[in-house]
Amino acid sequence: MVTPIYIVATALGVGFAIGVLNKLGRNFTGGLVLTAIAFMTFISFQWFAGFYSGNQLPEYIFTAGFQPPLSINLLMGPFEAFFSLMVNAIGLVGGIYMFNSLKERGSNAQVVYLILLMGLNVMIMTRDIFNLFVFMEIASISIAGLILLESGTRSMGAGFKYILATSVISSFLLIGVIFAYYFVGSLNIDDLITSNLHLVKGGSIAIFLIMMAVILELKPFPANGWGLDVYEGSDAGLSAVISGASASASLYVLYKLMAIAGPEWNYYISLLGAITFVGSNLLGIKQENTRRMLGYSSIGQLGLLTLIIGFKDILGENTIYIAFGILISHYLAKAGLFWLSGIIKSKGLKGWSVVRKHPFFLFLMGTFVFALIGFPPFPSFFAKWTLVMDLTATGNIAWVVAILFGSMMEAVYLFRWLGYAIKAENDHIEPVKIEWSKIIPVWIAALSLYGIGYYTAQLSEIGSGINFIPFLFVAVLLALDFLPIFIKNTLAIAGMAYYFYTVYPSLDNLRLIFEVIFMVGGILALIAGYAYKGTRSGFYPVAILMYAGLTGIIEANTTLEFFYGWELMTAGSYFLIIRGKRSMPHGLSYMLFSIGGAYALLAAFGMAQVSQISSDLDIINHITYLPQWAYGLLIAGFLTKTASVGLHIWLPGAHGEAESDVSPMVSAILLKAGVFGLVLALIGMGAADNQFSGLAYTLGWVGAITALVGNLMAVFQEDAKRLLAYSSIGQLGYIVFALAIMTHLGWLTAFTYSINHFMYKAILFLTIGAVVLRVGTHDMYKMGGLISRMPFAFIAVLIGIIALSGVPPLSGFAGKWLFYNAVLDKGWYFQGIIVFFAGGIAFLYLWRLIHTIFLGQLKDNHRNVKDISIWFAIPIYILIMGIMVFSVKPEWVLQPLGEILAPYFPNGQVNWVAGSASTALGYWSGTKVFITVVGVFAIAFAFLAISTRKAHKLKQFDIVFSGERPDRPETTHIAWNVFAGFYKAVWPATIPLVEKFWDKVTEMLHDTAGFTRRIYSGNGQAYMLHLVLFVLVTYLVIIGG
Amino acid sequence: MNIYVKIAYTFLGLMIVLNWGMLMRVTFRKIGARMAGRHGVPFRQPWIDLIKNIAVRTTLTHGVMFYLGPVFRFSGAVGLFLFMPILFGKEAWMNFSFEGDLVLILYFQLFGMLGMALGAGEGGQPHSAIGISRGLAQHAAVELPMTMGIIALAIQYQTLSISEIVAAQQGGFLHWSFFTNPVASAAIMLSALGAFGYSPFNLVKAPNEIPIGPPTEYHGTYLGVLMTSGNILGVMETILFMNLVFGGATNWFELIIKSFLIYFYAVFVGMVFPRFRIEQSVAWFFKIPLLLGFIAILMYSF
Amino acid sequence: MEFINLGNIGLIIGFLLIIVGFWGVLTQKNIIKIIIGFSILNTGINLLIVSLGYVKGKTAPIIDATIATEGNYNVADKIVDPVPQALVLTAIVIGFGITALMLAYAMKLYKAKKSLEINKFNDLKW
Repeated sequence: MVTPIYIVATALGVGFAIGVLNKLGRNFTGGLVLTAIAFMTFISFQWFAGFYSGNQLPEYIFTAGFQPPLSINLLMGPFEAFFSLMVNAIGLVGGIYMFNSLKERGSNAQVVYLILLMGLNVMIMTRDIFNLFVFMEIASISIAGLILLESGTRSMGAGFKYILATSVISSFLLIGVIFAYYFVGSLNIDDLITSNLHLVKGGSIAIFLIMMAVILELKPFPANGWGLDVYEGSDAGLSAVISGASASASLYVLYKLMAIAGPEWNYYISLLGAITFVGSNLLGIKQENTRRMLGYSSIGQLGLLTLIIGFKDILGENTIYIAFGILISHYLAKAGLFWLSGIIKSKGLKGWSVVRKHPFFLFLMGTFVFALIGFPPFPSFFAKWTLVMDLTATGNIAWVVAILFGSMMEAVYLFRWLGYAIKAENDHIEPVKIEWSKIIPVWIAALSLYGIGYYTAQLSEIGSGINFIPFLFVAVLLALDFLPIFIKNTLAIAGMAYYFYTVYPSLDNLRLIFEVIFMVGGILALIAGYAYKGTRSGFYPVAILMYAGLTGIIEANTTLEFFYGWELMTAGSYFLIIRGKRSMPHGLSYMLFSIGGAYALLAAFGMAQVSQISSDLDIINHITYLPQWAYGLLIAGFLTKTASVGLHIWLPGAHGEAESDVSPMVSAILLKAGVFGLVLALIGMGAADNQFSGLAYTLGWVGAITALVGNLMAVFQEDAKRLLAYSSIGQLGYIVFALAIMTHLGWLTAFTYSINHFMYKAILFLTIGAVVLRVGTHDMYKMGGLISRMPFAFIAVLIGIIALSGVPPLSGFAGKWLFYNAVLDKGWYFQGIIVFFAGGIAFLYLWRLIHTIFLGQLKDNHRNVKDISIWFAIPIYILIMGIMVFSVKPEWVLQPLGEILAPYFPNGQVNWVAGSASTALGYWSGTKVFITVVGVFAIAFAFLAISTRKAHKLKQFDIVFSGERPDRPETTHIAWNVFAGFYKAVWPATIPLVEKFWDKVTEMLHDTAGFTRRIYSGNGQAYMLHLVLFVLVTYLVIIGG
Repeated sequence: MNIYVKIAYTFLGLMIVLNWGMLMRVTFRKIGARMAGRHGVPFRQPWIDLIKNIAVRTTLTHGVMFYLGPVFRFSGAVGLFLFMPILFGKEAWMNFSFEGDLVLILYFQLFGMLGMALGAGEGGQPHSAIGISRGLAQHAAVELPMTMGIIALAIQYQTLSISEIVAAQQGGFLHWSFFTNPVASAAIMLSALGAFGYSPFNLVKAPNEIPIGPPTEYHGTYLGVLMTSGNILGVMETILFMNLVFGGATNWFELIIKSFLIYFYAVFVGMVFPRFRIEQSVAWFFKIPLLLGFIAILMYSF
Repeated sequence: MEFINLGNIGLIIGFLLIIVGFWGVLTQKNIIKIIIGFSILNTGINLLIVSLGYVKGKTAPIIDATIATEGNYNVADKIVDPVPQALVLTAIVIGFGITALMLAYAMKLYKAKKSLEINKFNDLKW
């Protein structure tokens, strides 16, 4: 082992040597500095590896040949090795990144950079508190010095504010140190710990000042304007080092000194962390400047980490795991983002759309953003999971709420930013110049995130159960992204088919239903992808990511696996949705509702774990801790995915603007994930009349109102895909309502609807999507008369709407019939009536859909369009066959369904006698009705066919029209605002109250953020005042209160 | 009963219903004409129209769906007949009502309507589209109070089977739903006005505002099939209300009397009141009838 | 007047200087004056450190004639605590470094905007 004193020695030695050697050129000195950092990194790595293997014991390093307190000593323990490795590694990689910019500033800057790293290393290792002060000053001076050597007044001002603020902070520290020494007589941290300084009269002041100084180093909200300015103003590489190395070192210093302060400080440290996390992220939503926004995020993350280490006594041995996961994600992701921001150079968020001009930039940026928010497979996901689980288990619900709220705010601005990058206008932006020395560090950070994420999962017992194979498949598809569509599509389909084949024997029947919808439905939707040309860059990885998540929630055995799948699915579907042309705002609202829902689930899982020391998914069947809240949160979380009223505003835009083959994926398939979740939650609540009946009753009303709102809004849409999207909201409302009934019939209805909705909504979305691809518009009034050009599409839509409307003899009627029986059986008449009325309204939009597109007058520009692509027609007609089979032999589907549900709801099953269904109330023979109707239809058809066999085919405008002969389809086709009369009667019900509500919430958050952030006036003196006031207020709270 | 005998009876029943429907319609045309001071058409007129329409040699077509419209309409009408028990207690006249219950009837009504809407749409005639959009809007409004009333009856009798609902009303007119459950019956019968489509709810086919609504483009055999369907449907609607509210019928005579009176009620209202605009008619159903339906269900909710 | 000894006088003046320093730092608009404020602040802290290490009636921790005459035993009883004085030396060096850096900033800031008013340098805010 190389003794860590060589870290200091190397830095100092090389620093002095460069003073002599700078004649040899800046490339040489730069190389020398990098070599020195590499050696320092090697030393820390060696120690870290030693500790990791378990063979190494912590070692004290004594200087000047005396024992402490007479001399300064350093400690190299596992934490020190880890943090020192973090500092040196980012110093090395960041040094590569900054090689050219440091070179421009001269050999002095290179030396200062080296000294900065040395300062941080000693801050981590030292056991002498005065030494700590000295090296904190050295680090601050180095940072300010590096900024000073840059050019530009903006960074100059930031650097000056930085040095002013750190000077104030160090004054507090120095006063605190000297008082500590006065009371204890030693500067050694270990002596201070054993001396019980906090019990000494006056010692608490010393502790207070020291703690304030180290907390202020972490830039707590709101005394952190100086930190924000540095993040915004300084060189990107330096920001990365400040965020990654300097902040990590400061965090460790706080951790180290908490031993002196004693446990009574833990609460306040957590409180300050929570305030910082929430406050900083709240203000972040108002940011338009990328670097400053990242600064807010950095400070917020540090706040979260502060919160966590304040909870170290409660979290116990998990503290390290949690802090590690969040710290390492923040460290890598934030460094990566800062580095990227140095390459992109755009100040504003919208300028980031330039990343689309560079393959894989988007991948890098997406990786970092998702890692920061805590998506799988990144370390922060597992850490945040454990954090919430443990905090809930110990009853710290308020803290969980604060953490989730702060994370939500962070998601708001990070995903808005990502949305700009993916979608904002970029025609006028020049591609950026890529230097390899700058892009390689970013890649290292991104790939490390994946590797460490996998490692983090393996570290915990529950995380190691996660099946990473689907995710690996996503990675393969990403690597093969350059291949043409045909190969990738075939590969994707084959992969899904094979996976389904291997996984289905292991599933119970209930899960199998959903797995079939997800996987078989997914394959069918993917077939349509053959219709596209080119490489369709980025489509397949994200589509498979969504399916990987979907199958993940089906296969999940533990709550973590479920949540893992849930988040993968959310990430994949977000990227799928945002691929659409105008889907940026909708992608964002989808993401935010999804994250909100996911957090509700997270909290609920946490509550479920209380009093059940297990992480099996079954624990949601026996929640005893605040069960009403837990089930309520579960249901609310799942309702965000089923787009129930109140949480539905993301859906119309997201589904309506998505690509043609994506809409069926997200509508027919993805929404069922929410249904599956509800099924699990409701099974957990239990079938019997119990304390949760009120929850189910509420859910029933939510479902009923959703059905009405969705269908009513669909009636007044001019955009075909939005119409279908609103229709999906309505249909999911039926399903939610039927599930809430909580009887055998209710669930049979819900499952019938789920299967049916999957089929007919896939048919409709695929067909309409294919038509849209041909005619180039979603607006129905711009189409018309397409039946003559697209008969296959027409037939598909006709079957689809008959099935959806529930008119016998097609399969939709099965749902309606069961629905009536279920409602009457349960006695939920009013809700049932509302749902029924919604079904009646469905006719209006269904007729509108088929009429305005396919009937009426053909437009001039569509006279030569072709029928839909064969690749769309294949899945459509396969699904039509499915509907037909269901219609002719409903018992083939309903009877097994009934058997699957019987274990959960044994009472009140449907009786089947030779294909005839009967309940206590009514009866129905699907097959006979089908035969009867088809028979009558055939007879009438034959009669009319014979009697009009010589009918003369008319031309388009040969109609009886007040004696006139119209000649323009636009004026003759009744399509725009067809239900004007109906609107006059029902308009009060169409006021978008929910949208207004969420708009108001958004506005209030923005106003709050906009108002609060004005305290960052930009004046360095004001920032110093903030620091002093922060100390005073905290003093009053802690000591006085 | 042998299936062939069954089919023969059913066919006979269909013929009776069709001819009764034609006779009933022409009767009301005459009554209307006399009230307006005209002489009116002769009683044989519907049969003449039917024969003439089917015999027309020139037929035109706008396309396949145009042609399927009447087929849908006709299947809808006949299907409704088939799934409806016509005479209570007479197995021969129960038709195929064992295949499905009230829910089937309610939803099957829409089969013909949907086909008609699509067929008329392909004609490309704007008046068709206008008429259909009005028709659908009004229908959605009519259905709400009507279904509330029907559900109230289903709760009252604890069944969705029409036969059983009729059975429960046997034993004197005081057992009719009309007397045992007046609120639900009122909701149903007020909504029934909309279902019959006479004034004030006849904007769908209004000759003044739009020249004759959805079937504008239909002629010849198509029109013949549509008229046939219309006559069957008219009677079937009355039979549905008769079964639900007025105790059903045990013989053809009773059926004819009751259906005539129910139809007369719709026509009578139509003679007296002027026509609503579509938003007025939608709003009308959302007022008194909806309130009645609400009360009807409220009575069973506690 | 036991209270008024050298140590306590140092303490009081030290605190006063610290307060004056903070006052200067937080109220003066001129960057140079702010830097001077920091210098006063530092001086105050240094004085505080030394004063806390002072013990009445003892000599400086330097091995010179006064100590040599006493012999080489019990040196610790004769001198004041040496550590604070060592700390002060370091603190002075650090303070010097900081002041130098601040002055360098002042120079560059002045070059950029021809002004030393701190209010002029709030380009980065919110």
